[in-house]
Amino acid sequence: MNPDLLALLTTMKLAGLTTVILLIIGTPLAWLLANMTSKRKVIFEAIIALPLVLPPTVLGFYLLIAFSPQYLPGQLWQQATGQQLAFSFSAIVIGSVLYSMPFVVQPLQKAFEQLDHSLLEAGAMLGAGPVDRFFTLVFPLTKASFITAASLGFAHTVGEFGVILMIGGNIPGETRVLSIALFDHVEAFDYAKAHLLAISLLIGSMVLLAAIYLLNMPKLNSVKQGVK
Amino acid sequence: MSSINTLTVNVDLAFDDFSLSINQTLELNGIIGIYGHSGSGKSSLLRTIAGFETNINGSVSLNNRCLIDSNANTFIKPEQRNVGLVFQDARLFPHLTVVENLSFAVKRCDNPQLVFDEIIELTALSSLLHKSISELSGGQKQRVALARAILAEPALLLLDEPLSALDKAAKVNLLKLILVVQTKLQLPMLYVSHSLEELQHVCDNLLVLSAGKVVGYHNIHQMIHQLNVRQQEQLIHHQTSLSLPIKTPNNGHGLAALLLTTEHSIYLPALEQMPLTANSSNIANSQILRCYILAKDISISLDEPRNSSIVNQLLATITAISEQENSVLITAMCAQQVFYSRISAFSQQKLSLSINQKIYLQFKASAVRTYLY
Repeated sequence: MNPDLLALLTTMKLAGLTTVILLIIGTPLAWLLANMTSKRKVIFEAIIALPLVLPPTVLGFYLLIAFSPQYLPGQLWQQATGQQLAFSFSAIVIGSVLYSMPFVVQPLQKAFEQLDHSLLEAGAMLGAGPVDRFFTLVFPLTKASFITAASLGFAHTVGEFGVILMIGGNIPGETRVLSIALFDHVEAFDYAKAHLLAISLLIGSMVLLAAIYLLNMPKLNSVKQGVK
Repeated sequence: MSSINTLTVNVDLAFDDFSLSINQTLELNGIIGIYGHSGSGKSSLLRTIAGFETNINGSVSLNNRCLIDSNANTFIKPEQRNVGLVFQDARLFPHLTVVENLSFAVKRCDNPQLVFDEIIELTALSSLLHKSISELSGGQKQRVALARAILAEPALLLLDEPLSALDKAAKVNLLKLILVVQTKLQLPMLYVSHSLEELQHVCDNLLVLSAGKVVGYHNIHQMIHQLNVRQQEQLIHHQTSLSLPIKTPNNGHGLAALLLTTEHSIYLPALEQMPLTANSSNIANSQILRCYILAKDISISLDEPRNSSIVNQLLATITAISEQENSVLITAMCAQQVFYSRISAFSQQKLSLSINQKIYLQFKASAVRTYLY
């Protein structure tokens, strides 16, 4: 297979899996944060927001150490799976989940904070339990934020470079993603291939972001609600 | 099903600036009003019964089922209480249409007994079913909220100031609807309001709260009359509260007549329509009108007034005289019915009224107020 196509495939697999995991972990996390009243909330918020300001190499460096067989997380992984964690696809998934966490948690937390909780009381009075209320009230009422969170998480993972380079290296079909393939082409002075990857990433990201903003346009939302 | 439905509330609830302490058993039949000024604890009581207050000392049980018992660490979640609640702000789900809002309740009802279409007809919602919530007026929203709460088939329906966001016409319509629903479905209701006017037109019994404590619980008229003679903090405008049979809704001269006794009538402005229409003839009290007369609107004469335009003149006997700041509250009986009249201290000095004295109570037809008709 064309190595660039393989990199695209790896990237999509990584971004897709990361987004799914982030929605599963990020939703309850965002809910907890949105409903937290204690002052400790700021500490959790700061931890989750860290990847926004930290150089990716810092996170990558610590993850690389943690994933190595000399340290507990890496050891446990090796015992459980028989394989080394560092420089594997699993490693870059874990890295991406941590690195893209704020992009999923923050929009969800904001949506949950703005959600009219009196509607949930009304749901409870009609016999809907917490899980029922989440899927029939919270989710439909914050659907736009879920789409935003998923798209941002996906797009940010596609655009990842530093963390993956540190903990994943550059193994074709395993950890070699588009941004790294691009870097390779540049290093090899193959600017034609580099251009192709760069412009595709640029256009792809642009389209995705435009779609998110279109979805969040207030006017469009109200029209949609009125029609429905 | 147990034949006597009761709600027992024995709770202490403390907030920073307010505490609620209630020990009361309510026999659930008809509509029980809960009256008090803001800060009296009426909404907290409702939220306690609904299950939204968690920090409670004491117990609440509904029809012998324990909902809260802090000693036994029992706390039934709101969704498992089988209690309905109509909020003052409707709280319809904006992402669902009217019919979807109603189905939300039906789907979660364990053992549906009500026929959906009958409830739609009763609440006159058939033309609104497929509208979105944003298209509804305030009164329509509350009608949907009421229908939705009924369709969940609760054992007890709580109404938290359901009319407060509506204009007068919508208020009257919803109040009538609540009465019809109550009579047809025999669904016990607790109706919280700060408007005594509303309460005395729908409630059978009244629980009065003040500063987080129970002031009293009685039949609506008795309770209002008790509040008249309450010496401490004044909770209501002094008034005579009545339920009387209608003799004629319109005597041809713009007046309606109510039967006080076989000999005595009370006249009021003609009723535009009979309370509850003919097709609800199975309602036993359809010919009864609830009304009230403010004590300040009843004056007293020692002689029989002749040649007066005032249409209501009742011979009565004074049973109590209570002096208040610059006025005197006179309690008088006319044929088993108690009336309250407030006159100035000046008039009392002039008339020197005394207990057991015969007097004439006079009030204009327009002083007899009724909320619904």
